[in-house]
Amino acid sequence: MQIYLPIAEMAVPVESILLLGTVVGFLSGVFGVGGGFLMTPFLIFMGLPPGIAVGTQANQLVAASLSGVLGHFKRGNVDFKLGGVMLAGSIVGSVIGVVLFRMLQYIGQIDFVIPILYVVLLGSMGTLMFFESLMVLIRSKGKPTASDEKPSLHHHPFFQALPYKMRFPRSRLYVSALLPAGIGFVGGLLVSIMGIGGGFLLVPAMIYLLGMPTLLVAGTSLFQILITTVVTTILHATTSHSVDLVLASMLIISGVVGVQIGVRASRRITGAWARVALAALLLFVSIQLAGQLFIRPLDLYSAVVW
Amino acid sequence: MMRFWGVFIIVLLCAFGARAQFMAESPLTINLAHDHVDITMGFNGSDLVLFGTKKREGDVAVVIRGPEVPAVVRRKSQVMGVWMNTRSVTFRNVPAYYDLALSRNEAEIGAPEALRDNRIGLNTLDFRPDARQNAEEVGAFQEALIRNRQVQGYFPLEPRRINFLSNEFFRADFRVPPNVPAGDYVVQTYLINDGAVQDTRETRLRVAQVGFNARLFAFSRNNGLAYGLLAIFIAVAAGWGAHTFLRKD
Repeated sequence: MQIYLPIAEMAVPVESILLLGTVVGFLSGVFGVGGGFLMTPFLIFMGLPPGIAVGTQANQLVAASLSGVLGHFKRGNVDFKLGGVMLAGSIVGSVIGVVLFRMLQYIGQIDFVIPILYVVLLGSMGTLMFFESLMVLIRSKGKPTASDEKPSLHHHPFFQALPYKMRFPRSRLYVSALLPAGIGFVGGLLVSIMGIGGGFLLVPAMIYLLGMPTLLVAGTSLFQILITTVVTTILHATTSHSVDLVLASMLIISGVVGVQIGVRASRRITGAWARVALAALLLFVSIQLAGQLFIRPLDLYSAVVW
Repeated sequence: MMRFWGVFIIVLLCAFGARAQFMAESPLTINLAHDHVDITMGFNGSDLVLFGTKKREGDVAVVIRGPEVPAVVRRKSQVMGVWMNTRSVTFRNVPAYYDLALSRNEAEIGAPEALRDNRIGLNTLDFRPDARQNAEEVGAFQEALIRNRQVQGYFPLEPRRINFLSNEFFRADFRVPPNVPAGDYVVQTYLINDGAVQDTRETRLRVAQVGFNARLFAFSRNNGLAYGLLAIFIAVAAGWGAHTFLRKD
């Protein structure tokens, strides 16, 4: 059954959209990552213009991150002060990101830059996760796992020397505000250019760069993603008119259902094997995208009409 | 003097009368079964039927043209192993949609000059490139543009056939794809005899979103901020609702 999307001005099969939303929601429920980095490329694979995919995806992420934040908030696991500083950076990042996006569209390199970014991102993430989870598996076959010593870079002299230090009592940190703001800035750029939540970058950055207690990381990063995607959605809706409500509604509803299924299923799936599977999936998607870039395309010519 | 004016007026009336007579027996008349294509939520393409009569000898050609829009054609080449867009040509007067029905083969229906003057047939379309380019190269880009449009369904792969229901009465059946661009289209019918175009008739076709779709589209363009806030509201309601009602405890 086809449905005609009013903003995208094209018809898409309803079943495929709902299936995509459910599967990505499921993965997000199991692994705790936003899933935006899978949703946006698949929407583009289906023929949606990249601008619409990115703008609409930002809207979907609002729903996903809100339901996550509420859970963490109830348990008191959100550091609002730190999240607020990160937010300052990410709002600047997303404004710049939207400008960059429009520029890239204008000079016609958008369908080259976005796949390259995804290849680099998914490829490196997938490889890191793959080896990390293999290590965990191998180690757990031998002696009982030694305690994970989490090195954190925020003690590094370079970061210690940065100005504008602030106290973050919840996370028990005393670091330069530039650090979380910088991390937020990168996150904001990612949301507006690639349509992803950026959680998978924020979470390791918060653990290893900032040295935040693990318990607070998920909730705080979700809070930051929530506000960033709200801002990005409004920016995209007002400047490039690229948010398709019909598409977003379908993705939100199926995503929410998928997350719930995933969360229930996650209790049965053991950690390390699941991460190997996820890493394999990421590598697969990034290889597909890389193939588009490095293999001679069937038609050297492409046309855009407006 | 009065008699002169009287005769003059009668002669004028006769001339007009004769002209009216001529109009009443014009060789070609056409009528679109529906003069608008309504894009609704469940739109999946639409059939378009054109009926017509011809009172003289000759073949009939029907051309549907969408509004003219600019198009950019880009070519990839390998740069350090990566295939990326390196050359581009912008064309100005590209029809957003083009379709064609003939009562005879394209090669036989009329003289090439007549076809080209009236832009009947894909190979007669002449797109204006933006800047001065090498003629050969522009040809390759133009061919690529036509190919690309054909693949997407905006240009026809080959002309359709016109059905003659009697010696004078014909119908042309078209099908517009689901991704048909919105706009004001022109449907032109030509009567071709002895290689030249004897008569033409033109009618308009409107392709647009209607109803809920149109209202939502207008809302998103005119009130971007309110639309964005609505999008946020829906997402927030869904997220909060999911948390409250679907919690695992």
